[in-house]
Amino acid sequence: MLCAVIENMGSLCSKQRHSPADFEENAQTAEIERRIELETKAEKHIQKLLLLGAGESGKSTIFKQIKLLFQTGFNEAELKSYITVIHANVYQIIKILYDGAKELAQEEDSSKYALSDEIKEIGEKLSGIGGRLDYPRLTNELAQEIETLWKDEAIQETYSRGNELQVPDCTLYFMENLQRLAVADYIPTKEDVLYARIRTTGVVEIQFSPVGENKKSGEVYRLFDVGGQRNERRKWIHLFEGVTAVIFCAAVSEYDQTLFEDENRNRLMETRELFEWVLKQPCFEKTSFMLFLNKFDIFEKKVLDVPLNVCDWFKDYQPVYSGKQEVEHAYEFVKKKFEELYFQSTAPHCVDRVFKIYRTTALDQKLVKKTFKLVDETLRRRNLFEAGLL
Amino acid sequence: MRMHQMDGGGGGQVMDLETAVKDGILGGGLVVGGCGGGEKLDLGKMIVELDSIETPPVFICPISLEPMQDPVTLCTGQTYERSNILKWFSLGHFTCPTTMQELWDDSVTPNSTLYQLSYSWFSQKYVAMKKRSEDVQGRVLEILETLKKVKGQARVNSLRELKQVVITHDSAKKTVVENGGVSFLSGLLGNFTTHVVGSDVIGILVNLELNLDAVSNLIQPAKISLIVDILNEGSIDTKMNCTKLIEMLMEGKDSKAEVVSSLSLLVGLLRLVKDKRHPNGVVAGLRLLKRICLYEGLRSSVVSIGAVPQLVEMLPNLNAESLELALYILEVLSTFPKGRLALKECPNTIPTVVRLLMKISKNCTHLALSILWSIFELAPEECAALAVDAGLAAKLLLVIQSGCNPLLKQRSAELLKLCSLNCTDTIFNSKCKLTIAIR
Repeated sequence: MLCAVIENMGSLCSKQRHSPADFEENAQTAEIERRIELETKAEKHIQKLLLLGAGESGKSTIFKQIKLLFQTGFNEAELKSYITVIHANVYQIIKILYDGAKELAQEEDSSKYALSDEIKEIGEKLSGIGGRLDYPRLTNELAQEIETLWKDEAIQETYSRGNELQVPDCTLYFMENLQRLAVADYIPTKEDVLYARIRTTGVVEIQFSPVGENKKSGEVYRLFDVGGQRNERRKWIHLFEGVTAVIFCAAVSEYDQTLFEDENRNRLMETRELFEWVLKQPCFEKTSFMLFLNKFDIFEKKVLDVPLNVCDWFKDYQPVYSGKQEVEHAYEFVKKKFEELYFQSTAPHCVDRVFKIYRTTALDQKLVKKTFKLVDETLRRRNLFEAGLL
Repeated sequence: MRMHQMDGGGGGQVMDLETAVKDGILGGGLVVGGCGGGEKLDLGKMIVELDSIETPPVFICPISLEPMQDPVTLCTGQTYERSNILKWFSLGHFTCPTTMQELWDDSVTPNSTLYQLSYSWFSQKYVAMKKRSEDVQGRVLEILETLKKVKGQARVNSLRELKQVVITHDSAKKTVVENGGVSFLSGLLGNFTTHVVGSDVIGILVNLELNLDAVSNLIQPAKISLIVDILNEGSIDTKMNCTKLIEMLMEGKDSKAEVVSSLSLLVGLLRLVKDKRHPNGVVAGLRLLKRICLYEGLRSSVVSIGAVPQLVEMLPNLNAESLELALYILEVLSTFPKGRLALKECPNTIPTVVRLLMKISKNCTHLALSILWSIFELAPEECAALAVDAGLAAKLLLVIQSGCNPLLKQRSAELLKLCSLNCTDTIFNSKCKLTIAIR
């Protein structure tokens, strides 16, 4: 009898709660649940794309390009938000060059890197600024001084050995545009933003739909960008589930450079190991792999002066032609090496996953657009194939 | 009016008056032999150009079964091609070939009526064919012009249409080639070509004659990469077109096989070969793999993608043509150490290959023996045991006893000896029933 009383008590209590306010609460709960159900359904149709690669391989640039191409791009406020980054880049660059010149002058005891007293004065000042945690705004006077330093012969000599120091790829671009960057009401251009360099930390994501000619059939993609340096990579694993495609960026121009995190390690060797590791991840068994062989514009110019065999992986390279033909020949060689690595690292049961190699220059918007159009086509075909419709 | 019913069998046109008049063959209508201005079409020429057409039996010579150009009639009323019946006579026969009657009169009369009917009929067909082909040529030129101007969906549509026309009409192929179509189409293949465009371009090129310039234009890494990508992603028809195109590009002594053959291509071919649903694809894939294996430098790559165990696994299910190709490939691979090792390491090689001996064809047996021999060299004892278990000894005896060439016999005998040396007597004897005979 007691149980019956308790039960009735329960129902009595709940009955008492059916006041108008409670009715609204129940309606809200129902609405939330309905929304959750809809979103879960929608989630299943969103394709997850992951940008992976070593540090400075171009992942974030691709990320920015996708934003520019398929979202609303950067408005004025967003563009302005890059001013501090760009100015910071300028100070960082000139500090690296100046400190590098001093180092080389000591090591090599040659007059090539000797700096005059005036230059030294500017250099010390700028190096000091560059070593601080926050940078002053780039003024015309500062820009002038930086330019003087940049044009100095010793600094130019240092720049030519940039691969031994950690000189970033945006150096030339920013140094050539110094005056413009220092203008009082400077608003960065899209190109400036693409060149701007911040080391990504953590994960960033955007959702977009590449609207094709047939506007209805737009797929929805969610693109994730990550940090590429070694200490960032442990965060990657959290993103590895349910990935439709990995876009692995490898900067082919880096064959003569060393890591930021470890100056004794060749960058391309690091990329090689990283790519192998990613390929062998069990959760990527059915994932499509798009390999972006990036920074081709730099590669083009470098490969005729610096032979590929400086990188151990390419030690069996033999130049055959000259000029443009040789550039193509070198590129095909590198491509073949990556292809070999892919098949060596792919177990027989994974051999059916999609693997394509693309030659990219992430800074070139047109090229990235064309490349992405192909990536999209491949992924759509893959979907149809997996649904048994092809 | 009595008309001869033709004994040309079912399905032939019965030349009754009504039909003849309806078709406009009798007078009226088009070209009638010998008269009228303009070109006189030669009957022989027309017959040649219309060679795939179904000629009414009444125009066919009973001796040669070819359309008659100079029909003559015998006294029996049967008509033959003049040269054929004269030949028949010259061989000493004076009978009518179809009726077997002995001829009471050896004269041959030109059948001008039949000639005129035949001429009219062929002329009519000829003119119609010429008109159709001109239409086709015009259409092709139109499409080529359009292609040079449009992009996007319009380009896709034009390419599809061109492919259709080229496949159905031989004359279209010539037109495309003669109007710079090949280099234009090759130009459409590049780093940013979409699958849809690329697969149709390849589908067209595969039907055309490619001269040396065209081939060297296409054998560029970027284009080959694209063809391989399309092969890997396309439908079975597309896969076969790509395979065929690559085969065409590899013809010729100067072919740069290393450029053409990449790991992606080999993996794609292997996938094609494993697809049991499409035996045509299997044959095409095997043919190209065979061609690739002819280049020593590429054999290592073929082995490295795991081709050996996969080929061995599919051997039992292949038809005769595919089987011979597959065995050829395995045999070639067995001639170098890495390939040999791969064959040995695959546990099914010996039993599967032994089972194939003397089962399909002489070539297959020869290849199978070669493969076994190569593997035996690596580990005679181990292989002998496995092989004898699988019934090799009995098969070898069959080979030796069969009427095959001496080299094959010798090989078999050597192999048998190797088996007997490496197996204990009891096992060996129990496995092959003729014990004393061989010793």
